[in-house]
Amino acid sequence: MLKLFKKDLKLFFHDQRSVILTFLLPLILISLFAFAYGGIGQFNGRSQPVNLLVTDLDQSRFSKEIIYKIDSLEDIRIVVSDSKKSKDLVIRGKYACALIIYEGFQDSLEAGNPMPVELVYDRSRETEIGILQQNLISTLISSTSEIMIKKNIEKYLQELFPDDENDISNDIFGTLIKNDKKKEVIKWTPVVGIKNDTRLGLIQAVAGTAILMLLFSVAGVGTSILEEKENGTINRLLYSPLRGSTILYSKMLFAFFISILQLTAMFLFAWLILNMDMSVNIPGLILMIIATSFAVSSLGIFLAAVAKTRQQAQNLSTIIILVMSAIGGSMIPLFIMPPILQKIALLSVNYWGIQGFYDLFWRVLPLKEVLPKIIILISIGLIMTLASIQLFKKRIMKL
Amino acid sequence: MIQVRSVSKSFGKIEAVCDVSFNINKGEIFGILGPNGAGKSTIVNILNTLVKPDRGDVIIDGVNIKGDGDTIKLIMGVVPQEIALYEELTAYENLMFWGGLYNIPKTILRENANKTLDIVDLSYRKNDRIKTFSGGMKRRINIACSLLHNPKILVLDEPTVGVDPQNRNHIFEVIERLHDEGMTIIYTTHYMEEAERFCDKIAIMDVGHIIAFGTLKELREISDAKDLLTIQLADFNNETISAVRSAIPLIRFDSTSKTLEADCENISNEISVITNHIQNAGGVIERIYTRGTNLESIFLKLTGKKLRD
Repeated sequence: MLKLFKKDLKLFFHDQRSVILTFLLPLILISLFAFAYGGIGQFNGRSQPVNLLVTDLDQSRFSKEIIYKIDSLEDIRIVVSDSKKSKDLVIRGKYACALIIYEGFQDSLEAGNPMPVELVYDRSRETEIGILQQNLISTLISSTSEIMIKKNIEKYLQELFPDDENDISNDIFGTLIKNDKKKEVIKWTPVVGIKNDTRLGLIQAVAGTAILMLLFSVAGVGTSILEEKENGTINRLLYSPLRGSTILYSKMLFAFFISILQLTAMFLFAWLILNMDMSVNIPGLILMIIATSFAVSSLGIFLAAVAKTRQQAQNLSTIIILVMSAIGGSMIPLFIMPPILQKIALLSVNYWGIQGFYDLFWRVLPLKEVLPKIIILISIGLIMTLASIQLFKKRIMKL
Repeated sequence: MIQVRSVSKSFGKIEAVCDVSFNINKGEIFGILGPNGAGKSTIVNILNTLVKPDRGDVIIDGVNIKGDGDTIKLIMGVVPQEIALYEELTAYENLMFWGGLYNIPKTILRENANKTLDIVDLSYRKNDRIKTFSGGMKRRINIACSLLHNPKILVLDEPTVGVDPQNRNHIFEVIERLHDEGMTIIYTTHYMEEAERFCDKIAIMDVGHIIAFGTLKELREISDAKDLLTIQLADFNNETISAVRSAIPLIRFDSTSKTLEADCENISNEISVITNHIQNAGGVIERIYTRGTNLESIFLKLTGKKLRD
């Protein structure tokens, strides 16, 4: 078996195209996806601030006060612009949204009328809008409420003590705000993704792409069995004292080995080049790489076992891998998919692999919490291996 | 060396080999001749223990294939019909890999690899990748890969398919050299001239049966096949043809090609008699073709169809 394994390894490294497809292409894709899902290693684990165009047509004390408060938020970066240009920039996709404070803002606030404020936005940029929604609305409401309360206190005190200075109203308001801030209604505490600096987008890019590319690589190994059958080398191997099962096991071993090599290379790349913190759970990472490699390599061999010809195997593999990767979260993060797709995703190897890596790097769960996913991956591998052995004995290893 | 006794093998409803028996002596070249689907490959695979016969026995070098398949595989070397080599590996790497499957010690394997490269006359290309070789060269390496474990019996399954004349001659030289060294060779082909050139004994197969077996001389006698004389006329008229036919009743005439054909027991004795009859009848001979009895004609005689049908 070792001789066959060594031969496959030699053939693999002699074929530059295979090496490039197995190692270089996935690394390029990981980098691209990492960029697509957010900045790499920036903002110390936080999301990049969202740029917000702001146009102040009121130029009042209140409008300036509110803009100042928004600008002090960590997740929003203010870019001042005029109203016409703001809308145009959003339409052209340069910015996700623009806040326009119209003339009469202060007057409306004082009169208790609806605020003449407009937020123009690009519907397609849901992530940025989400961040703005969370921060902007609460800031606007709280700030305008504070202004209203302060205004009312001043008005009330002026009616009661027309000769007194404004200092009294400031004192009362200050105390009120201070007390109010002490008793926040809801305490917001993030419990996931806070133990390390790695961004979710980066984990998604590395794990998702790694499993997708792994599937393509091992499908190639699987198809090589059919190629060998077609060019007669399998038959020639059978003429020698080798057993048919040895030939099959050596291919499986090779697929498993290449999978481990590929996944390890991708995680090393993510660690060294993309600053992904690998130290969070090294034993868990090793086990996840082994379990994922086993499941994926078995699936690749199984796809080849199902097909009758090399061409059929290539077409079948491409379709199944793409569909499975799409629903399993390799191409699109699972958390933005509709619930029904999230349930269907359970049927894919990608899901269990990606979730396992999420558990390790994002949720930073201990090994025993990741074990169920590892066991599922190994079970998938075992089932596929047994099915492949039966199919190959029936269809491939016969002359 | 090899005794095949009443062997039959079916695949589903298809009877690939039916009640086949023959003996091959040590050092013989045994030809199995037949069209595609005749059962040649099934016989080869039965001999090589890859296919189990439904009935019958095969004894190779005193070993029954039903008992000890592994020993048989060590005795035999098989040159498959396909060029079953790894194109990305060099000739030498291929030899080392295929020989390595027989658990030959590395030093001996290296010696054998160099020796077989010498035999197939490709030592000068040993470190080149197979993908850079011509089809004929690949075929020669294909043979070399089957010789590394010094088999007592070599099976060559159509080894010259698609090979140019120069490489074909190289392959013939290899076969003759191995034969001279005393190797028993089983040679399947549908090239008549190859079987005629090498084979001490020939089995002609058709639809799973051996329809004739023996030396070329014995096959001639069995089939009653005759030499063929073909005479092309420059011109003809009906009187000429009638006159020739009355003198030689078994002669055949094709008006389209203006040719007369006659089967002859001994072509050199009969040619002058026939041509005299034609000329006496007023016929003008343009060309004369002769063809001696060969396997093609024997096969045609025995089965009523051409070998490549």
